[in-house]
Amino acid sequence: MKFLIIAKKEIIDITRDKRTLIMMVAVPLLLMPVLIGTMMKITSSQAEKASERQLKVTFFGQEHAPDLYQAFSNIDKLIILDQISIDSVQSYIQSEYLDAAIQIDANYQSNIENNGQAQIQVQYKGTDSFGTAKDRINTVLDQFEKNIIIARMNRLKLKPDVVKAFNIQFNDVASKQEKFGKLAGGWLPYVFILFGFMGAMYPALDLGSGEKERGTLETILSSPASRLDVVVGKFLVIMFAAFLTALLALGGILFGIQQISEIPPALLDLINEMFTLKTIGLIMTLVLPVSAFFSALLLGLSIYARSFKEAQSIVAPLNIAIIFPAVIGTLPGIELNMLTAMIPILNVSLASKDIISGVINPLYMTEVYISLFGFAALSILWCVKAFNKESTIFRN
Amino acid sequence: MINVQNLIKDFTLSKKQRKEMGDDYKDTKILRAVDGISFDCKPGRIFGLLGPNGAGKTTALRMIATMLKPTSGSISVCGFDSVTNGQDVRGKIGFMTGQTALYDRLTPTEMVKYIADLHGMDKTTFAKRKDHLFNILDMNSFADRRIARLSTGMKQKTSIARTIIHNPQVMVFDEPTSGLDVMTSRAIVNLIHSCREEGKTVIFSTHRMGEVNQVCDDIAIIYKGKLFFNNTLDQFKSEMTKSTFEEEFIYRVGEA
Repeated sequence: MKFLIIAKKEIIDITRDKRTLIMMVAVPLLLMPVLIGTMMKITSSQAEKASERQLKVTFFGQEHAPDLYQAFSNIDKLIILDQISIDSVQSYIQSEYLDAAIQIDANYQSNIENNGQAQIQVQYKGTDSFGTAKDRINTVLDQFEKNIIIARMNRLKLKPDVVKAFNIQFNDVASKQEKFGKLAGGWLPYVFILFGFMGAMYPALDLGSGEKERGTLETILSSPASRLDVVVGKFLVIMFAAFLTALLALGGILFGIQQISEIPPALLDLINEMFTLKTIGLIMTLVLPVSAFFSALLLGLSIYARSFKEAQSIVAPLNIAIIFPAVIGTLPGIELNMLTAMIPILNVSLASKDIISGVINPLYMTEVYISLFGFAALSILWCVKAFNKESTIFRN
Repeated sequence: MINVQNLIKDFTLSKKQRKEMGDDYKDTKILRAVDGISFDCKPGRIFGLLGPNGAGKTTALRMIATMLKPTSGSISVCGFDSVTNGQDVRGKIGFMTGQTALYDRLTPTEMVKYIADLHGMDKTTFAKRKDHLFNILDMNSFADRRIARLSTGMKQKTSIARTIIHNPQVMVFDEPTSGLDVMTSRAIVNLIHSCREEGKTVIFSTHRMGEVNQVCDDIAIIYKGKLFFNNTLDQFKSEMTKSTFEEEFIYRVGEA
């Protein structure tokens, strides 16, 4: 039971370390809500600004389509600038002095009257982040085109069904929860996998290479505690830190979402329905073995390093190795199957997506747990082996 | 009581290590750090293990403290074999190096309690022993202050307290005064003396000859992993051909 004495001491030690506390509690709990809130606020305010913005448009050939020109003139928040030469249009749009230029073909009127297609060219800048200019011009043109088509149908005494042979009804059997879960559910595990790793990182560095650097490792190794006690005691504390950080990150996201007024109430209700205690509990059963996997891996690497600095340089590239499968899990089309259920981290990401969507395949889930607990056990064994290796412990 | 018999310790050198160690070691795949040494340390006596840096002192002491496993040979501490009864051996020893080896974020009380808990001390015994040590080391004024905020002297006292909190029968000191100022070194030397008075077995490594004369009863000189003197300090003095300890030591190492 000496590992409990070691774990108790390590808990006291890491909870007095400001760096670990910030990374373990403050960042996941505060950063996520602040990040989500700020991002949503900026996005919505930018979108609002874009839709409120007065568009500056110029017309060429308006004399061929005076009614269309008039339709544009009647639109709110749109100014038509005259007296712009056709040669300057491109540079004006590039420099964002002008949002768009509409060019009407000389045969517009005759084409419309003869049931033909009139040529209209619209020049705009595609880097406009919200696509406002193109969308707003298209809305006016669409409406105008519909009116022309209706007039043509009436003139030809035809029903609209002539040009619309099918009346298709798509009935989606997927629930709103499933759709939302598949779409956004992948990002949530990405966040808590990343935070779980970050939460384990500092304690692992401190309890492994930090102990070597301070010379305290010899104190522990010369005590009656066995190497297994030392590894298990340290491992439990690192795993606790990883698990807590991931849990707080999840809590931070859910809390952050509640605080954002920009989220439509229907979506908020859906999110609240999805994140029941059962869902969170199930996700946490995935976080636990993955935290164990991270913790043993990081502790093993940390104890191998000669110093805290060397441990940091060994562990830093691992961030990418962790992020990569987590990001793959967010991609559309990547689903949990017999193969992906075996790949650690990716399987957590995909399984969480399924849990959030409410579509759980018991066979794949069992495979995920077997894989995660298997990898966790292997990494713990490797860590114990590293602790028992003299060349690792006394590498410096 | 420590009994060391034909102790050998080999280390396998990696390519990188061979490169770092220079041309002399470029073809050395196995480095013999300790080469067949034997000695006894008796209760109530201070045994000094002397040798220059890299002679094998720390490796030998780490094997006695069960941190390293011997390649061959045997070590017995208070009747327990260091390989087969490692945990029992560690229960009998107190290990101290030149580094204070303390946790900055703990207080001296917590640090000492941690080590006592690992040694399985019960609450009452711990409380009595802690009070006794904190009184004689004059540690009460900073007992509940974080170690990071203590002076070097205070840290050294804490280090002494954590080494002897479980009242070990055997004390292993690995260059305990290395890098310390005169005042702090004196506190360590006093501790070593008091351990002898209490009848403990003390093994003490150093490369400072002055300290040897000050504290040791028996000495062994180790160089390149081999012992080439193992007897009492008085015997060493009687065999001296040079005028000072240091000169004699350098002469003997040169002869080896």
